[in-house]
Amino acid sequence: MKTFVKIGETTHEVELTERLGELIVRLDGEPCEVEYAEADQLGQIILIHGGKSYAMSIEGGPHDIAITIAGHRYDCELEDERERAANLAARAANKGGGLLKAVMPGVVVELLVEVGEAVAEGQPLLILEAMKMQNEIGAPGDGIVKALHTSAGDAVGAGDKLVTLAAPEAE
Amino acid sequence: MFKRILIANRGEIALRVIRSAREMGIESIAVYSEADARALHTRMADVAVPLGGKLPSESYLDMDKILAAALETGAEAIHPGYGFLSENAEFARRVEEAGLAWIGPPAGAITTMGDKITSRREMKAAGVPCVPGLVDPVDDVAAATREAETIGYPIAIKAAAGGGGKGIRIVREPSEMASAFRTASGEAVTSFGDGRVYLERYLDSPRHVEVQVMFDGHGNGVHFFERECSVQRRHQKLVEEAPSCILDEETRQAMGKVALQAGHAVGYCGAGTVEFLWSGGEFFFLEMNTRLQVEHPVTEMITGVDLVREQLRVADGQPLGYGQEDLAIHGHSIEVRINAEDPFNGFLPSTGVLHNLRAPGGPWVRLDTAMYRGLEVGLEYDPMLGKLIVWGADRAEAIARMIRAIREMNVGGVHTSLPAALQVLMHERFVKGDYDTHFLEGLTIESPKEYEGLAAVAAAIYRHHQARRRALAPSSAGRSGWQARTRGELTGHVGRAGVAAATEVQS
Repeated sequence: MKTFVKIGETTHEVELTERLGELIVRLDGEPCEVEYAEADQLGQIILIHGGKSYAMSIEGGPHDIAITIAGHRYDCELEDERERAANLAARAANKGGGLLKAVMPGVVVELLVEVGEAVAEGQPLLILEAMKMQNEIGAPGDGIVKALHTSAGDAVGAGDKLVTLAAPEAE
Repeated sequence: MFKRILIANRGEIALRVIRSAREMGIESIAVYSEADARALHTRMADVAVPLGGKLPSESYLDMDKILAAALETGAEAIHPGYGFLSENAEFARRVEEAGLAWIGPPAGAITTMGDKITSRREMKAAGVPCVPGLVDPVDDVAAATREAETIGYPIAIKAAAGGGGKGIRIVREPSEMASAFRTASGEAVTSFGDGRVYLERYLDSPRHVEVQVMFDGHGNGVHFFERECSVQRRHQKLVEEAPSCILDEETRQAMGKVALQAGHAVGYCGAGTVEFLWSGGEFFFLEMNTRLQVEHPVTEMITGVDLVREQLRVADGQPLGYGQEDLAIHGHSIEVRINAEDPFNGFLPSTGVLHNLRAPGGPWVRLDTAMYRGLEVGLEYDPMLGKLIVWGADRAEAIARMIRAIREMNVGGVHTSLPAALQVLMHERFVKGDYDTHFLEGLTIESPKEYEGLAAVAAAIYRHHQARRRALAPSSAGRSGWQARTRGELTGHVGRAGVAAATEVQS
């Protein structure tokens, strides 16, 4: 079974095969010898690789997993083959458009765009205030504002819909 | 000495005050909001009084409720901590009017220092160096060029109506003045509809250095040397250290003297911090914080003085009982703030439940925090969850120790600023001491590539096991066979990853 793990800009391909109760691991097409154990039920794991033991803290799942190794943090987005195919198809259908959701709870201070407006990637769409800080929320890609799901003064929770973008019109 | 004090605050600073009070045999009264019913300060205090309310304005900022709680419980004094009501002159006045002792400076000093314009005027009068510049706008290029000579180059031309960096022009020599003045003025008109501009000395590579002072009510004052807090982002400090590595002994003495001058000028009493901007060997008064500061532990670590204890003694009317000559710097200390924010994503606030917590330990490591497993990190309060502090015989030792301590620590459930602090501590410029207040903003926080593949593998295996456990649950939720097999092998001798890397420097 292949799992696609996206960390930052890079996507790693991890292939796990279970054979006689043992996991055979391939990382980006290369064999990768590791031993894995969970130290507790709270997300402390141990990975042994190349004669070294790596103590890691792990949280989240199944699509968003964060790993901390020696103080460094890796935010991983995971997809298996089936999910990857489905997500790719969904993205292709959307062609750069899509739905923008709140990544954190907060209060919408100001909407900076209107329905029908063309926006460029990174352009601020709205200002969300959280923890006494005003945060500009930018467009994930080029597109046209199709719908605004919130208005100034609204309190939103993490995962709430903010803005729907439609794919930019072909030139 | 007081028998009982009320702490009008929450989080780690409430714990900090409770700890010193308890060591001194003083009972502490905590107050808490609805959201903090299970908070550590509520549980650690001798008595905890509910204030009700979810919003700060209904609890930690509600003077009536806090004063009532103090009077009801027989507290003799109120410690405000930092933030909330700590720099509120009205509250300080009302505490004293209620017949209680205020563990902080006199209301008058809070008022004077709390205002940018009056504090600068007072400080100038007291002979404290301020950033050279004009308060009044200049009319034309000729006047600007004339005034610039007195102020000294480089000059920043700023819009009188401005803010946020708009309309600022840097002039390095007189020949640039004419064109810079016109563009700055023009930009001020378009941005603010007001073309008036004023001149100020521009500080290259400024560093934030502050002096801890303490005065008693008998006219005695000492300073506990400086802290450097130049690693900051949008004026939010991340890494602080004491002493500062850019001050020579002469400048240190001069800065301490000026800080005491500043305090005496406003009739200060208690603990305070005088903040300076340092640039190219000169330093200028920025502002005075009339309270205990977040980063006070680094000062405690290098001086061996418990600042909260001193605050309590002074508020009780006791004389300091020692002088400047009794104080000395011993070693080096660093503090890192643990904020619930995502450094990989523009330091956006992060919320969640702390499902896992591992505190670092070992020699000369101190963790001041109110975190506990199960704590729900929300948006009601400041994102600072705690502070990690270390001491070392010298700066290099302190840096190595802090890197070690961060690697031991785990805060599971939210993003924290720790990976960003780790990157700062390993950065060549920080290690050399060659950094300024722009340093952190210019840094892209990223995790090293070397562990990325392993993280990906671990994530995939973890997900695999989760899925499997769900499939088998609940009857056989135990360990799977191959996990049990690898368990036995863990007893073998293996090198611990990440240890050698602790001394590596990232350029």
